[in-house]
Amino acid sequence: MIHSMAAFSFTRCLVRSYFCVKCVDHVQTRLQATTRMFCVPASRSTQFTDTEVQEILTKITGLDLKKVFQPKRQQLTPPKYKLMTDKELEEAVLKAEEQAKHLLKMPPVLPERKPINDVLSEDQMLEGMDTTKYVFTDINFNVPHRERFIVVREPSGTLRKATWNERDRIIQVYFPKEGRKITPPPIFKEENLRVVFEQDRHEDVLNQCVVQFEPDSAEFKNVLMLTYEDIEKHGKYDLLRSTRFFGGLAWHLVNGRRIDGLLVDMLQRDLMQDAVRLVRLFNLVHPQSESAQHAQRQQATDLNLLKIYAQYESNRAGFIELAVQTYEQTEAPSSF
Amino acid sequence: MVHLSSFLLKKYHGGHVVIRLALGGATNRPFYRIVAAYNKRARDSKYIEQLGSYDPLPNIHNEKLVAFNYERIKYWIACGAHTTKPVAKLLGLAGFFPLHPMTITEAERRQKAASIEEVTTDSQEQAEQKETL
Repeated sequence: MIHSMAAFSFTRCLVRSYFCVKCVDHVQTRLQATTRMFCVPASRSTQFTDTEVQEILTKITGLDLKKVFQPKRQQLTPPKYKLMTDKELEEAVLKAEEQAKHLLKMPPVLPERKPINDVLSEDQMLEGMDTTKYVFTDINFNVPHRERFIVVREPSGTLRKATWNERDRIIQVYFPKEGRKITPPPIFKEENLRVVFEQDRHEDVLNQCVVQFEPDSAEFKNVLMLTYEDIEKHGKYDLLRSTRFFGGLAWHLVNGRRIDGLLVDMLQRDLMQDAVRLVRLFNLVHPQSESAQHAQRQQATDLNLLKIYAQYESNRAGFIELAVQTYEQTEAPSSF
Repeated sequence: MVHLSSFLLKKYHGGHVVIRLALGGATNRPFYRIVAAYNKRARDSKYIEQLGSYDPLPNIHNEKLVAFNYERIKYWIACGAHTTKPVAKLLGLAGFFPLHPMTITEAERRQKAASIEEVTTDSQEQAEQKETL
């Protein structure tokens, strides 16, 4: 009953604060399509968008319904109560789980967008005309925002394409998106971010960041990196555990080869399966590392993976081995 | 269905569709809408379709924002609409039309005026220097 109530209130919340998820997915699939067209078929390094990687990341993120459907700040409406049979309740829980999966869709990790330096024409004869720039936009509704023509006529007479920042600002002027401001709010400055991190509000900052910036912009990546660094420095992994940013955090740490803190945290909370998956992800992304090569040679699974990783790559080998041993001891009597 | 101006303009004898700027905004704050309207209509009254906007006052970033719906402008020009001088100038600056000759002439006139001013200020400075010496 509680879940159906929460699910209902979150369908409304879905429209409001996760509006960007749809467009972000659209961008990701289109960029995937373009890379598939132009890339050489054998891609050596594992990407964020590989199915295996995504599977592992979704499983590590976990599905804590209570945290996903946590009471959030929204407009007060009286709750709706429904009378259900046990079967209906199970169905409602399943529906809520599906919706939670949708809410937990990860914001994409894209390569940084390259600056636009296209000059369409140079007319020196127009030099003294005006002291201001003219910005011409195409307001045709059927054109996707990425392909829109936004062109700037400088006072020197050159006609150039607008830069990414100008594009974002002007698209927000003519096609406003809910929650996005025209100038980025001061919360994204470093000093203010520090204050927010001290208050443990990483999730709110990340939600605002996803709404405000495009996923391949420099500012988006910068804010994400600062958040992840802060979380790793203080070990506050649990803050992001059942949210949609956990995958991004895990990916960032794996790429930086710094999964020790996260592994230790998982072992402390008895999440053995998650720890194993994390090591598997590490081996996928860095197939040349020692632990990956040893694991492949021995075709290791589960706890052996952890042991191999602890032996070769980690700085906190002792703790990991101890944790694996205690797990085995507790498992052994229970299997009988 | 193609809009053939002559079929529709039975009330306006010899009128035609124009793409022009309709003024709006407030006192000391103009704002133009780029609009396809019949020639004989009042400047700000009922138009056929809005094709864009033009804000003549520059914003914080020193930009004048102009919006055009190029698809619909192409359609109306294909139907035989005329453009007024300011609209033609803006479209020329945007690169959609070739540059308007008056834009180039104005630029040349300003450059001439600026060079004459420079010459006069130079000569004034020289005269002052001679006086001080």
